[in-house]
Amino acid sequence: MDIIKRKKELVKEFSPMLEKTSLISKLWIVVLIAIISVGIYAFYLQFINGHKITGMRDNVVWGIYIINFIFFVGISYSGAFITGVLHFFKGSWKYSIARIIKIITVLSLIVGPIFILLCIGRLDRLHYLFIYPRIQSPITWDIIAIMTDLIGCFIYLYLTFIPDFAILRDTADLKVPRWQKNVYKVLAIGYQDTASQRERLHKITEIMSVMIIAMAIVAYTVLAWIFSLTLQPGWNSTIFAPYFIIAGLYSGVGVIIISMYLIRKIYKLEKYIRKIHFIGAGIVLLIISLLFGYFTFSEYFAKWFSHKTNDEELLNTLFSRYFWEFILANYIGVLVPIVILFFKKLRTIKSITFAAVIAVLGLWLNRYLIVIPTLETPYIPIQDTRPEFIFYTATWIEYALSFAGIAAFILMFKLIMKFVPIIPMSGIIDQERCEENKTNNTTNQVQ
Amino acid sequence: MKRDLYKYPFITSFVIVLLLSNFSLAQENDVSNYRIGFNFNTVKQYDNSRLLELNFIATNKKDRKDKIPVNNAEIKFFNVLNDDKVLLGKVYTTNEGVAQLILPENQNYLIDDDGNILLIAFFEGTNSLEAETAEISVKDLHLELNLTEIDSVKTALVSAFTMNKLGEKIPVEDLEISFYVQAMLSKMKIEEGTISDGSYEFKFPTDIPGDVNGNLIVYSMVVEHDEYWNVTQKENANWGVFHKQTMKEKNTLWSAVAPLWMYTVLTIMLVGVWANYVYTIINLIKIKKEGDEIKLKI
Repeated sequence: MDIIKRKKELVKEFSPMLEKTSLISKLWIVVLIAIISVGIYAFYLQFINGHKITGMRDNVVWGIYIINFIFFVGISYSGAFITGVLHFFKGSWKYSIARIIKIITVLSLIVGPIFILLCIGRLDRLHYLFIYPRIQSPITWDIIAIMTDLIGCFIYLYLTFIPDFAILRDTADLKVPRWQKNVYKVLAIGYQDTASQRERLHKITEIMSVMIIAMAIVAYTVLAWIFSLTLQPGWNSTIFAPYFIIAGLYSGVGVIIISMYLIRKIYKLEKYIRKIHFIGAGIVLLIISLLFGYFTFSEYFAKWFSHKTNDEELLNTLFSRYFWEFILANYIGVLVPIVILFFKKLRTIKSITFAAVIAVLGLWLNRYLIVIPTLETPYIPIQDTRPEFIFYTATWIEYALSFAGIAAFILMFKLIMKFVPIIPMSGIIDQERCEENKTNNTTNQVQ
Repeated sequence: MKRDLYKYPFITSFVIVLLLSNFSLAQENDVSNYRIGFNFNTVKQYDNSRLLELNFIATNKKDRKDKIPVNNAEIKFFNVLNDDKVLLGKVYTTNEGVAQLILPENQNYLIDDDGNILLIAFFEGTNSLEAETAEISVKDLHLELNLTEIDSVKTALVSAFTMNKLGEKIPVEDLEISFYVQAMLSKMKIEEGTISDGSYEFKFPTDIPGDVNGNLIVYSMVVEHDEYWNVTQKENANWGVFHKQTMKEKNTLWSAVAPLWMYTVLTIMLVGVWANYVYTIINLIKIKKEGDEIKLKI
């Protein structure tokens, strides 16, 4: 196989994604920037006026910001977990989705922690967390875990990008701006695809992939402990850490399926992102949805059966004021994906994507029900206070910032895809090289 | 009769108490079954004021544990010399049957030629209770307590004297005196001795804990002396040896420092992860180096 020729072919195939921006893409970028701008304005108002312009009050000190935080960070950790596991699989199919997952992992880990900053009433005191850290606090653990994990994910993503940067650097007829070529040159760090460089890169990527699996589990466990190490009814649970990990995987796989669908559709990558990917991801989603349903049932059943006063009060709240949300999150959000994915005939690309959308929305609502009703039913009854101080309703400020976070995630995704092909060219070449070597070996043995 | 009840409320209350106490037989509640105690005492306090104290308590003749204080009884205190009689003050007894009068340092007393002050406590008496009188003859003793370091030795020095009419100090002899330090609940005796030639000194113990700042309150006291009755003097000194209890703070979740295992686990994990980052970066540098060498060759 002529490697240089193959590289040129692949660049030619994927270069339109890097060189051209369609009108629809430009419009999308404008819309996303507009949403982000509204979010920035909302943040300005929140910074000037404080949390009083949000729905958060004395009781419900965490609103939808913390839900978005858990949601995005959960996606990231599940992405890290899946991408780490994928690395150990053999077969060309994994290259088509590996980069999508890696980008989701890093971007959601950038967007997620921004939401936790929005929860802080006195942002001017943020640095106290670093000046006066209390190592006993799960919040300190979480800061350490998120920062370490973010750097790890960045490194891992970068390691998988290096061979592609080298290919793009060496492609003289690539019609991209000069600065972009210079960036390719710098980021390729003199990678020439020699056997020793390949081996070295493969070795460190393999170690990193193992490490990010472990880090994802540790970091999401720590995030679960922020809740479960308190005595709050609804949070104080021994199964919260594995429950969070399963929930994170559930939403993570859902977002991956949705992303696969959109990227496949927009960039016409049917050749690379095939039905088999969706079916594979769908089966994974089915297994996780069964596990998630089992954990959810176990969690609420134990609370209901133990008849503890505060737990009962919480369950009464869930089954009265939050009845429909509870049904949507824990029945529709779990059962619909299970039904769709269980029957072979229903496993089409669109239906699997639909199941993923239901799973993601249901999971977000599930996070909402974990945070808000618990904070609305405190241990110590509050006397002589207004109902709006007890019950939570998100304001437009919070929604604006939430949508801005989603818009930022999509915008960054689009910009990365403008910078580097979404399908790793080096992965395809590696696979073809591997197959060629295997064929040669077989031929030699026959001769 | 009704008017009499209001006039002598203490008697009324005394009789009521007698009637109600122990549900005893009427005969037993009779005043005649009680011995009336009318005990007079005086203490010269550390600020040189004089406390006159009278305890007016009835004790059952048959059962000494059965004591009933006579409250709200008017006690008059007098200073008497020959035919002169000066009323020092009138005080009513408390619920505990105690009447106290404090005379200031600059109180002018009637003093006889030997320096004795005759003090009398007087209860006028009522229909039920007889009049009572108690007297004390006391000499005005002056105690001066000094806590000083003599040749780096912490020394307690007390001077005891009386004053004659000319205002001259007359040292006292053979006077028993005790020294105390104030403890949390009571006074702790640290020394006792006899004053001769008007003074007494002793080496102050160096192992007495004071308060958190090492402060001590030292008392010198003459107790129930025939001539001087009770005399107290006190002085403060920073001579206490405060032994701060060194409680070794355990590493706990709620202390300033976290449990050791927490530091250990976190350090191992972070060092492990960050060491791998460093290892990755070193390998990337090697990749770059190799690439640069290839470039040079070309």
